[in-house]
Amino acid sequence: MTEVSLRSLQKLYGKTAALKAISLDVTHGEFVSLLGPSGCGKSTTLKCIAGFEDITDGRICFDNKDISRKLPEDRDIGMVFQSYALFPHMTVTQNLAFGLEMRRVPKADIARRVASAMEMVQLTPYADRYPKALSGGQQQRVALARALVIEPAILLLDEPLANLDAKLRDEMRGFIRDLQKRVGITTIYVTHDQNEAMTMSDRVVVMFDGEIAQAAAPEDVYNRPASERVARFVGNANILDLPVAGADAQGTTVTLPGGTPLHIAPCAAPARAGAPDRLRVMARPEQITLTGPGLGQLPGRIEKRYFSGGHVEYTVATECGALFVTGPTTQHVSEGDTVGLSFDPARLWPLPDPAPERAQ
Amino acid sequence: MRIATPLLAVFRTLVYVFLLAPILVVVLASLNAGNFLTFPPQGLSLRWFWTFLNNDIFLNAIAYSATLAACATAVSLVLGTMASLYFTRHAGKHAEAVRIGVLLPLILPEILTAIALLFFFYEIGVGTEHKIALFTGHVLMTLPFIFLNVNTSLQGRDDSIELAARTLGASRYTAFRRVTLPLIAPGLSTGAVFAFIISFDTFGISFILKGTGSAPLPIQLFDYLRFNFTPEAAAVSTVSILMTLVLVVAADLLFGRRD
Repeated sequence: MTEVSLRSLQKLYGKTAALKAISLDVTHGEFVSLLGPSGCGKSTTLKCIAGFEDITDGRICFDNKDISRKLPEDRDIGMVFQSYALFPHMTVTQNLAFGLEMRRVPKADIARRVASAMEMVQLTPYADRYPKALSGGQQQRVALARALVIEPAILLLDEPLANLDAKLRDEMRGFIRDLQKRVGITTIYVTHDQNEAMTMSDRVVVMFDGEIAQAAAPEDVYNRPASERVARFVGNANILDLPVAGADAQGTTVTLPGGTPLHIAPCAAPARAGAPDRLRVMARPEQITLTGPGLGQLPGRIEKRYFSGGHVEYTVATECGALFVTGPTTQHVSEGDTVGLSFDPARLWPLPDPAPERAQ
Repeated sequence: MRIATPLLAVFRTLVYVFLLAPILVVVLASLNAGNFLTFPPQGLSLRWFWTFLNNDIFLNAIAYSATLAACATAVSLVLGTMASLYFTRHAGKHAEAVRIGVLLPLILPEILTAIALLFFFYEIGVGTEHKIALFTGHVLMTLPFIFLNVNTSLQGRDDSIELAARTLGASRYTAFRRVTLPLIAPGLSTGAVFAFIISFDTFGISFILKGTGSAPLPIQLFDYLRFNFTPEAAAVSTVSILMTLVLVVAADLLFGRRD
């Protein structure tokens, strides 16, 4: 097991900064996802770790050894590509054996290790097939086995599920996660899909514009986002901009339209300069409950209702703007109904001020 | 809309006749028993093949052309593959410059390339006495065929395949040899066959740059026909057609589409 440490990693393409001095520590056996929209630098980070891109400044360390200047073949990494990148002219067995041959492992050991890797990803019956005779999911598993059979120090995955259909993607998600836990390998996973990042990772690293916006456990990223942008990227977020009635050591009291006070627990977000007169709080759709008219803390009217199988999604018009709310399918509310919205103050999350360039 | 099948069959036959009739005429003329290159042949005989096989000038010319074609193809394989790898992996004006530069001898009339090279080699004081001028000409003529065929093999290929080999511990060179080379092998073999045939058959370049001494087959044939008009010329042509055919069929059997 290996520790990965990125120290002030910087990557410039000409004058454009793809990575602006990012630092990140990944511990032994940890599964870390780099999550962000395209162009945020997550793939560049992975390419730098793999050694496909020269870094402009900073260092990449595996177990405190600087490997920034090493060639990809000397870094001891296993990588799974979005396109799988299987060798089309080799059978599954030959694909898996390639890395071991490169490492000059004795023939008998190669056969044994390839066989056990094949078993690990349940591909033994397909040993002599060529990649093009395999389904997408099977190719994916070959790619995984090929990366793992060499027992690399770390495993890098670059959007490995992006080319699979939805059902297979869910299946593979669990498969990869289980495999990673079983092998116990330090893993860095790049994805733009917040769902994948949340379900698979020990820690999610949200990136925007070549910077790390937040690196935290999935629950923290979801429930306690570091910024409004993180809040909006990771799931649906209702942002309420509310006047502050008072603040003390136990938190801040804000007032909903209609006068109902809400007590918000203090957050780790940096305090505002000067006396705050308004506070932006985030509520996830499932953290708002629909109740009857006149009940709850905020009145509203159902504008849209979408049945989505497991739950129902509503758009509710309120004095705080349109709010996105989910509720159980057992609730009978129709479009046009007047409802009350009930908030659990403990689950409302105060957001720091938006970044200056977006505050204007 | 489908064209009526009988009409299509007629059309197809006509195309084949148009393409193959001249070759057939040459082959039949080579079997001529008479003393002059005429068609239809006056009686059938293999005597002109026998004459040809005892004519050192033609045998030497064939050997010379084959050696020249093999060497030019070998050099083109290396240069063309390098150019193609660069072109398919880079975008922008440098890659475009490489493409145009390599394809120029194909686009320009052959005679222009030949004259340009003639001037060049005299300008740098080398002239055509050395085989280097002729050889350079043949490399330039064959290069586009390697380049285009390797491009076809590389395009649509996933660039990350070679990177995957690198992460598995292969050096840049090993990754190329074990992964990229097998994938472009069909392009290399097709390109090599094309290159060999082009070099073997080309006239303009050889005519201008050949210098003195031994000459490639097409030049020798041309010289011969200026003073002699016997079916021996047809026999030589027939043998050269057969050689080309053997090459194409062999390449197809060895590296033909198996996917």
